[in-house]
Amino acid sequence: MRVTCPICKMKTTWEENPWKPFCSERCKLIDLGKWVLDEYRIAGTTSETEEEKTEID
Amino acid sequence: MEDKTIEENSYTADDIKVLKGLDAVKKRPAMYIGSTGIEGLHHLVYEVVDNSVDESLAGHCKTIEVIIHLDGSCTVKDDGRGIPTQIHPDEGRSAAEVVLTELHAGGKFESKAYRISGGLHGVGVSVVNALSEWLDVEIKQNGSVFQQHFDRGIPSGSLTVVGKTKGRGTKITFKPDTTIFEILDFSWDILTQRLRELAFLNRGLKITLSDERTGKTKEFHYNGGIVSFVEHLNKNKTPIHPKPIYVTGEKGDIILEIAIQYNDGYAETIYTFANNINTKEGGTHLIGLKSALTRTVNSYATSSGLLKNGHSLSGDDVREGLTAVISVKLMNPQFEGQTKMKLGNSEIKGIVESIVNEALGTYLEENPSVARKIVEKSLQAARAREAARKAKELTRRKGAFEDTGLPGKLADCSEKDPAMSELFIVEGDSAGGSAKQGRDRRIQAILPLRGKILNVEKARFDKMLGSEEIKILITALGTGIGPEDFDVSKIRYHRVVLMTDADVDGAHIRTLLLTFFYRQMPLVIEKGYLYIAQPPLFKVKKGKTEKYIQNETEMLNMLFELASEEVELTIKGQTVKGKTLVPHLKRLYRFEKLIEWFDRRRRDPKLLQFILLSGVNNDTLKDKGQFAKVQGLIKEHYQNIHIGEIQHDEEHQTYGVETRRNNYTLNINTQFLTSPEFRELENLFQIVKDLGEAPYTVMTKDGGKEIKTSKELLETILAAAKKGLNIQRYKGLGEMNPHQLWETTMDPDKRTLLQVTIQDSVESDSIFTVLMGDQVEPRKEFITTHALEARNIDI
Repeated sequence: MRVTCPICKMKTTWEENPWKPFCSERCKLIDLGKWVLDEYRIAGTTSETEEEKTEID
Repeated sequence: MEDKTIEENSYTADDIKVLKGLDAVKKRPAMYIGSTGIEGLHHLVYEVVDNSVDESLAGHCKTIEVIIHLDGSCTVKDDGRGIPTQIHPDEGRSAAEVVLTELHAGGKFESKAYRISGGLHGVGVSVVNALSEWLDVEIKQNGSVFQQHFDRGIPSGSLTVVGKTKGRGTKITFKPDTTIFEILDFSWDILTQRLRELAFLNRGLKITLSDERTGKTKEFHYNGGIVSFVEHLNKNKTPIHPKPIYVTGEKGDIILEIAIQYNDGYAETIYTFANNINTKEGGTHLIGLKSALTRTVNSYATSSGLLKNGHSLSGDDVREGLTAVISVKLMNPQFEGQTKMKLGNSEIKGIVESIVNEALGTYLEENPSVARKIVEKSLQAARAREAARKAKELTRRKGAFEDTGLPGKLADCSEKDPAMSELFIVEGDSAGGSAKQGRDRRIQAILPLRGKILNVEKARFDKMLGSEEIKILITALGTGIGPEDFDVSKIRYHRVVLMTDADVDGAHIRTLLLTFFYRQMPLVIEKGYLYIAQPPLFKVKKGKTEKYIQNETEMLNMLFELASEEVELTIKGQTVKGKTLVPHLKRLYRFEKLIEWFDRRRRDPKLLQFILLSGVNNDTLKDKGQFAKVQGLIKEHYQNIHIGEIQHDEEHQTYGVETRRNNYTLNINTQFLTSPEFRELENLFQIVKDLGEAPYTVMTKDGGKEIKTSKELLETILAAAKKGLNIQRYKGLGEMNPHQLWETTMDPDKRTLLQVTIQDSVESDSIFTVLMGDQVEPRKEFITTHALEARNIDI
């Protein structure tokens, strides 16, 4: 299976790839670093979202 | 054999000396050419070619031809001045013969004939002669053609004139000694690589390689020199600035050339040469280049304000994505290191440094856009390196994940066999509390994680797995983390279940967790250890019976079933009730949902229904007359409508108009009428037609009722189904009490678990990437379309 390295976007393989899904140890470490440095966050919305308003009767 | 007898007759003291020298080469060939394997074999060709290149360096040779022959011999031919043919004053033999038979003989050792020489460490062509079964030399010089033949380094006669010529140059053909070399086949690829390199390093020199075994021929000729070399190295990469930066300088006898180009990759590719020799181990020229590069980029970054005072870029940062070639030519190269492939001349470092500092500094000042790109690239590298450092620190800290005991937040199970144990990762403390109380503590462990974090600045909650949460997660799993330490066999649970709320936040936190597992612990997924819990979305109460409903589809199906028991409809003039009513209701529901979908996109829903009713389709648009008729009908029906000019669609040979009414628009054209959405609507419209003309009659247990629109009809039917029902929608796991949570989601006998596959996680990663994206637009688009879908199935 071909996968895209989440960090550098290079195409790489899944099978027999010790760094999968990354292309290299470097990219895998950078990703881990980003988790640890709290760089991965999904922004919340300031107001209530549409879904929250719809209620079932 | 005959030759040998003749030779013995002319045996002289000189020959003894020669033999002694060449015997040493034969005894220890590796001392002279590195090995008797593949590298040594090709080394022979390089030795001969290097002599020709030296002629070119001295400005006397323009083309070199290398031919690999069928019998394993090789010819190297140039158009240089030719090896001197006159009789050597001390030796009484031709200079050519001396060069070919004596170690360390030749013009290069006195630095007069050649200012600069690349000859491989000066061992000379005599070594090639000594290690060849036979060698033929042909020299064209001063109008004559000279020839001489050697067997295993011993001349079979003296250098003799064989004819006349207008040309000039040297041609050497040799056959490597089969008793010395383990490998005898010349490699096209190896020769190609080296000859191409030489052509790059010697701007304008034309080198051709022909292989008679295959008929292949290749020419190497680069007027761009090492600039072309860098372009060649970056061929399959994306450079961040169009032209390589070229620096050249001379100091005393030293000539320096450097070409540099950055690409958007991360690898550092620097080729270093001294007198055309590939100094694979680097040396003083490389050190000089590196230190100048670091210094110049840092000083530009600081002075231009791109780098904050007090910060600096490391050499590694500055060289990320760098492709460079440095070539120095000097009089007395000293080679060091294991393979003698490291330049040792100490004066070179300072010279390279000062030339590069000055030239590159000027270049960056004069080309600010390129300079900015290089600095930004380096800053990015610095940030990446910092992230990697932090990650290493986390994994390296001894004891961070060992022997510290389990995190306090984890409510572990009593079972110690991983194959029997389950870990529920739950978002939020309240849900965590319910899960802890409701679980089967023998086999089920609960780990509550905080996935939301208050962003004070923006007054909102962001979703994130903080470093603390990650540490706790890794400790609970027991696997360790990082490329070297992660060990899936140490996992403490063979079922790791993600249990998050059924709202958008819950979906985001699940995406974060899935992405983390996919990226940092893919083996957990591969082994099939990762699952997603399926808590119910609804609880339905009717009288005293309670039922949990998993999702919207299931809910709808239940409502349709109930409705079919409650109502009767007239379809195609016939009364339909019971089970046969269900598919009709489903289609009606889908039709109304699609109309709502168009409505949300501000596509006139009334006009749409009118179009459907009039049977307008793409064929209508082909006939201008018919189309005008429809247009008239629309105008008649809707007085306040604005209809644009009729437009002709050349590509489809159809007509179309744009309409506007209130806040709605609708383009009646081929693009719209052939869209999958409209086509589905067209298909579903059959059910509305089958219901006959409005008003519709619906029979409920309370009697008949007349209804004006299909929308109201659906609402009435659903209302009848919901009668007496109490429907509770679970938005959060915390809304369930411990018993409910156990019953619906955790009880191994009743629950459904979704096993996460690699494919699921790849998808999750791409959602994550969109959510993380720097590009605001696709992110927005993603969030709105998914929000629409969520509403679409809402009841």
